[in-house]
Amino acid sequence: MANKIVVKNLKKTFGSLEVLKDINMEVEEGEVVCLIGPSGSGKSTFLRCLNRLEDITAGVVLVDGHAMSDKKINLNKIRENIGMVFQHFNLFPHLTVLENITIAPVELKKMSKADARERAMELLDKVGLAEKADAYPAQLSGGQKQRVAIARALAMNPDIMLFDEPTSALDPEMVGEVLEVMKQLAADGMTMVVVTHEMGFAREVADRVVFMDGGYIVEEGTPEEVFGHPKEERTISFLNKVL
Amino acid sequence: MTQIIDILMKNFPSLMTALAETLKLTVVSLFFATIIGVIFGLLKVSGKKPLKILADIYIDIIRGTPLMVQTMIIYYGVGQMLRPMGFMWANYGGSFAAAAVTLSLNAGAYMAEIIRGGIESVDKGQMEAARSLGMSYGKSMQKIILPQAFRTMLPSIINQFIISLKDTSLVSVIGVSELTKRGNVMTANAAARSMAIWVTIALFYLVICTILSRVAKVMERRVSYGK
Repeated sequence: MANKIVVKNLKKTFGSLEVLKDINMEVEEGEVVCLIGPSGSGKSTFLRCLNRLEDITAGVVLVDGHAMSDKKINLNKIRENIGMVFQHFNLFPHLTVLENITIAPVELKKMSKADARERAMELLDKVGLAEKADAYPAQLSGGQKQRVAIARALAMNPDIMLFDEPTSALDPEMVGEVLEVMKQLAADGMTMVVVTHEMGFAREVADRVVFMDGGYIVEEGTPEEVFGHPKEERTISFLNKVL
Repeated sequence: MTQIIDILMKNFPSLMTALAETLKLTVVSLFFATIIGVIFGLLKVSGKKPLKILADIYIDIIRGTPLMVQTMIIYYGVGQMLRPMGFMWANYGGSFAAAAVTLSLNAGAYMAEIIRGGIESVDKGQMEAARSLGMSYGKSMQKIILPQAFRTMLPSIINQFIISLKDTSLVSVIGVSELTKRGNVMTANAAARSMAIWVTIALFYLVICTILSRVAKVMERRVSYGK
């Protein structure tokens, strides 16, 4: 299978703070990778380097063979192919749910208004929110907002989806509905990189679990390997705290 | 009161002409001030150092000097400086044009600060979400950030409009025949009724400004979405 994402010797510093020290990772097409680890371990920063929301300090990030830090690439074009879902949803509050989903496909000239609408309704159906098409984000619950945010990202028909702690800002009773949508996506064969604290989700859905700490990947493997038989001291102590 | 009504009756046409001049000057100036404000506001948030410094210099100069002095510099100073090149304000709309340029530059600087503040008040996750969908910086600004910033800025913008409207009074010094200038002319002819004349003039400003702030209230209510 082809590698969708290749990361080599990635380093990222903020001023004098070294957040990512030397990251190497590959993600295959259709693979679901869950990034776990204590807060401050660099998981979110790493995820944000993948679509260059953060500029990298050193190393290489290849997405579909394009070096993301290359000044000559059309970054916007490549980003169309990488959906992102944020912890705080970041829905556009001045637009309705439907407009949130159609704005990118329409503005970036991928679709006519009518086609984008139709596609948006399909996606809303998929995330179970078709009746909320004309609502504004402020009228939705957290779980509903996050499902709309997933639909918005899917509207560009990306090959890859990045999730940055998608359930961390949700009330506990709403976590399930969002994870359900993500499971469905994984089952449909989407390539996914998910930063998460939901160990149950990682165990059930991930093809590979990556444990990060202190700016390094400490350990990675199948959920069975990482959760069942962790090898590294730091992994064991982290898992003891969260499980 | 009877004096005011009497003054209104006798001077109605000339007062209306002066009012029209005041409004024309306000509208023209605010139109250009808004364009200037958007440009310099965007420069300030562009993250490009030289552009930001350029915007800062402009805004500091305007905010650090009185409008009256700015008017003198533009009308007399610039007029004199460009004379050798054949430029004369008289050929380009006279004192009205000089006043419009001054007020545009003046209000533009304040508008730039308002617009910068509005843009910065929008959560930075909004730009990230737009960019991650593949939208360019410009498109994200135009479709996502500015429409939201506008809603926060609206009260301050209307406030600036009201200030600028009242500021047109100052350009009477270079002879623009707006309301305040009209008041000067009227008192020159009837010094004894100075109080009544100036109260009449004040009423004109008061009425327009009140209408403006009422309109602002209505607009503010109308643009709050889904809350």
